[in-house]
Amino acid sequence: MITKKVSKKDIRKLLTAWNQECNVIVPSRVDGVVGMAAWDNQDISFLDWYRNTVIPPKSCFLPKSEVMMSFKKNENGLKLEVPTGEHWQVIFGVRPCDARANAIIDHVFAVTYDDYYYISKRRNTLLVGLSCTNPYDSCFCTSSNIDPTESEYVDLMFTDIGDDFVIEDFTGGGKALLNMSNTVKKVTRADIDKAKEVKAAAVGQVKKTVDMEDVDRKLRSLFNDRDYWERISAKCISCGICTFLCPTCFCFDINDEMIRKEGARYRGWDSCSFRSYTKMPMENPREEKWRRVRQRVCHKFEFFPMNLGINACVGCGRCIRLCPVNWDITQVIAGLPVEAGVKSGK
Amino acid sequence: MEKELRDQAAKLLEEGTVDFIVGFAAGTLKHTTTPLITGDKDATSSLVINPFISNNLATYALEISGRLGIVAKGCDSRSIVSLIQDKQITRQDIVILGIPCSGLIDLKKVEKLSGKERDEIDDIAVVEDKVVITIGSEKREVTAATVLFDHCLGCELQIPQEYDFLIQGPANEIRDNEASREKIQELKQMFPDQRWAYWKQQFSRCIRCYACRQVCPACFCERCFVEESQPRWVSPVSLWQDNLIFQAVRAIHVAGRCTDCGECERVCPVDIPLRSLSKEMYDLVGEMFDYKTGMNAGAPPLMTAYELTEVESLIR
Amino acid sequence: MIITQIKQRRKELDRGKNVYVPHMVLVDKIIEETPTVRTIHFHFKDTELNNEFTFESGQFAELSVFGVGEATFCISSSPTRNDHWECGINRVGLVTAALHRLGVGAEIGFRGPYGNHFPLDMMAGKKLVFVGGGIGLAPLRSLIWNVLDNRDKYDKIDIVYGARSPGDLCFKYDLDTWEADQSLNTVITVDKGDAKWKGREGFVSEALMDAAPSSRNAVAVVCGPPVMIRSTFPVLEQLGFMPDQVITTLEKRMKCGIGKCGRCNIGNLYVCRDGPVFSYAQIKDFVSDEY
Repeated sequence: MITKKVSKKDIRKLLTAWNQECNVIVPSRVDGVVGMAAWDNQDISFLDWYRNTVIPPKSCFLPKSEVMMSFKKNENGLKLEVPTGEHWQVIFGVRPCDARANAIIDHVFAVTYDDYYYISKRRNTLLVGLSCTNPYDSCFCTSSNIDPTESEYVDLMFTDIGDDFVIEDFTGGGKALLNMSNTVKKVTRADIDKAKEVKAAAVGQVKKTVDMEDVDRKLRSLFNDRDYWERISAKCISCGICTFLCPTCFCFDINDEMIRKEGARYRGWDSCSFRSYTKMPMENPREEKWRRVRQRVCHKFEFFPMNLGINACVGCGRCIRLCPVNWDITQVIAGLPVEAGVKSGK
Repeated sequence: MEKELRDQAAKLLEEGTVDFIVGFAAGTLKHTTTPLITGDKDATSSLVINPFISNNLATYALEISGRLGIVAKGCDSRSIVSLIQDKQITRQDIVILGIPCSGLIDLKKVEKLSGKERDEIDDIAVVEDKVVITIGSEKREVTAATVLFDHCLGCELQIPQEYDFLIQGPANEIRDNEASREKIQELKQMFPDQRWAYWKQQFSRCIRCYACRQVCPACFCERCFVEESQPRWVSPVSLWQDNLIFQAVRAIHVAGRCTDCGECERVCPVDIPLRSLSKEMYDLVGEMFDYKTGMNAGAPPLMTAYELTEVESLIR
Repeated sequence: MIITQIKQRRKELDRGKNVYVPHMVLVDKIIEETPTVRTIHFHFKDTELNNEFTFESGQFAELSVFGVGEATFCISSSPTRNDHWECGINRVGLVTAALHRLGVGAEIGFRGPYGNHFPLDMMAGKKLVFVGGGIGLAPLRSLIWNVLDNRDKYDKIDIVYGARSPGDLCFKYDLDTWEADQSLNTVITVDKGDAKWKGREGFVSEALMDAAPSSRNAVAVVCGPPVMIRSTFPVLEQLGFMPDQVITTLEKRMKCGIGKCGRCNIGNLYVCRDGPVFSYAQIKDFVSDEY
């Protein structure tokens, strides 16, 4: 429910108020690349140009590289130290697609065992969503049943209605953020009506659509069709762009680095698109590219629904926008045979 | 040009001269093309030639088995020749469909110029030596040189030398060496510690997606040095030091094989100016060894042959 | 809702529970099984943990050589002999090479036990057929000693084990003990013998066919390289074993061991979390052929 609003003129004041209590992370352009970075206490021009980031917000919880523990060798043996002290942070400008994606990987990192590094950052983070009114031509969130202006996975949702943002709050944390500043005002009936207009129009802005109905069933019947996958994967070059920029991809690697007596264990992003991802000394089950492309598509659209009941693709379109060869997942999905037969052979 | 290419490609498939045609088709996003790999002669009607055909299709020669008909711009044909020199592919397995090129449009330059992102631009069209950018009802005309890729401005072979078929068409003079090296000259004016700080900042953004390596036809190693663990030359973790070493070593590894096709810089998702490294290396190779990649299929690869008259100052 | 669930976990996190931090263990003994395989015996540095730690046959652990890396090893000792623990290490890469360079007294990291385990409850009262190849004896060994330490719970036992050559046979001290044990039928074979080899020659699948164990009220447990597993399944089928009577362990490259890093998946299952022990009936119905 829309209950409050804040004027665009007051955004700097609001962010400043938040900045007293926690780190405020906002969209920023570094060397021309749009990402999320710590607010510099000044610049709010992102309100004019921000559409979506290149690196998704998952990097705030699962960075491209982080220290898991550091070690020092001394006369008594080995001393292990784990980084501690996560600060409260607020991420401003999370789009509904990324918000749902965050919730999906929140689950992955909390199921059975808690992932200390991810959860300790996540639990100290509040997400402020921002309705998406200027999608890219590669966006297709609506096909994943996401409304670009609604999300149940954020603490606050801001929607731009011209001179103001209207605000919906969903959690105690969100309410607390609103109480930090007197720039947050009550909404009027007119504001709510304008917001409804903006939201309705936003849905129509998402031009790319694809039918995701029954994708998991179609993929299951195609699993052993080597010819199909070889054809589909022909132009892929096996880089890691789609996986690294996907907000629901979470695969990581663990590596140690040591120089003389000091070192650390790092966690970093890894990708099922890389040939060495599943390489074992005696064999590599995914040596061939078509197997890796098959894994990529099936994990997102078949195995995730089998395990979690939800399709893991949120339609953010980053994979399409930044793929070096314009490999387009929506084309693949649309082209899945309706009645796919099972080809013989394993 | 397109009709001639499509007819030729269809003919090659029909006659069984090639198993696959590798060319460009329209992409699913605005101002984009995508590689088309097909054995179906009817699909050749989708082949396109336009100012957005930036992929270097020579990379596919390494993975697709069978006889291939590859559509090649000048730089791509040089990559193919280089792979033949390195005996990675055999000349008889490739049918080169050469196309003349008047330069490709750098969408990042267009975005910077117009202040809009590429999907907000309705049309980008080349009209002789000008480029017309249409946004809504607004049309803006600029000289082609302002929006062509830097590497296109440094082009040394607009029309392929090595080919089986050459599609007829214009190749407008686009060369402007100075403009092509503008970014590199800026870097060369910096003091070493300034330059180091610059590259440290650039490589802090690197996410080790390896797109630069994967698009590059010169990177044909079955197993890249970054994937070795015994010994571990470079950490697989994305730390700026290791990211920098990775690119520095890669630039050295591809020296003499790089044709300045500019793909590495185009595909980088975090806009690291990789060409500033590879182009500098390319020019050094030209200066020190008087060698230009991919101009002579019969010549030995750069680092495998030695002439007595060669420069010796690097041997200490 | 996910955010509330995360808030509830805050208490656990405050207790500093970090699954990725290994426990410290000290190497007690090193046995050179073959030129490339060593068994290390170790115990926990923390005495409380040393007394409390337990696991089930079939589970695995992540051993760390700090500064070099972490790798996956099955625990090859039996939970019935809990005074120390053992892992078999095949030297094939960076971490295993580092583990081979260790001496007695070295300090390494241990994370585990992870994964599921052999279904001892299902096996009780049945005839058991253990089929192993090469280093595949390591997980099997934990199970065999577990069973032998409770011998009267089980019916007839057959052990069929083979390796490429006599030099590749692992755990020879166990093989001698089992061959001498009258309550078992033990068959050892090598693909190709040497001048000194007086035993059987031939593949494990052939030895199994000749041994022809009864499949009535029996369970077969098969551990070894994929090529051996694939050649053993048809033999078991011929002997009358139904898919749900055949158990095996699958191997894939692993890193985290707890179902998070994503790399060990076969279809929608993770070998580290839903395995490594699977029944052949499960495998036949897998959505994926990647094993």
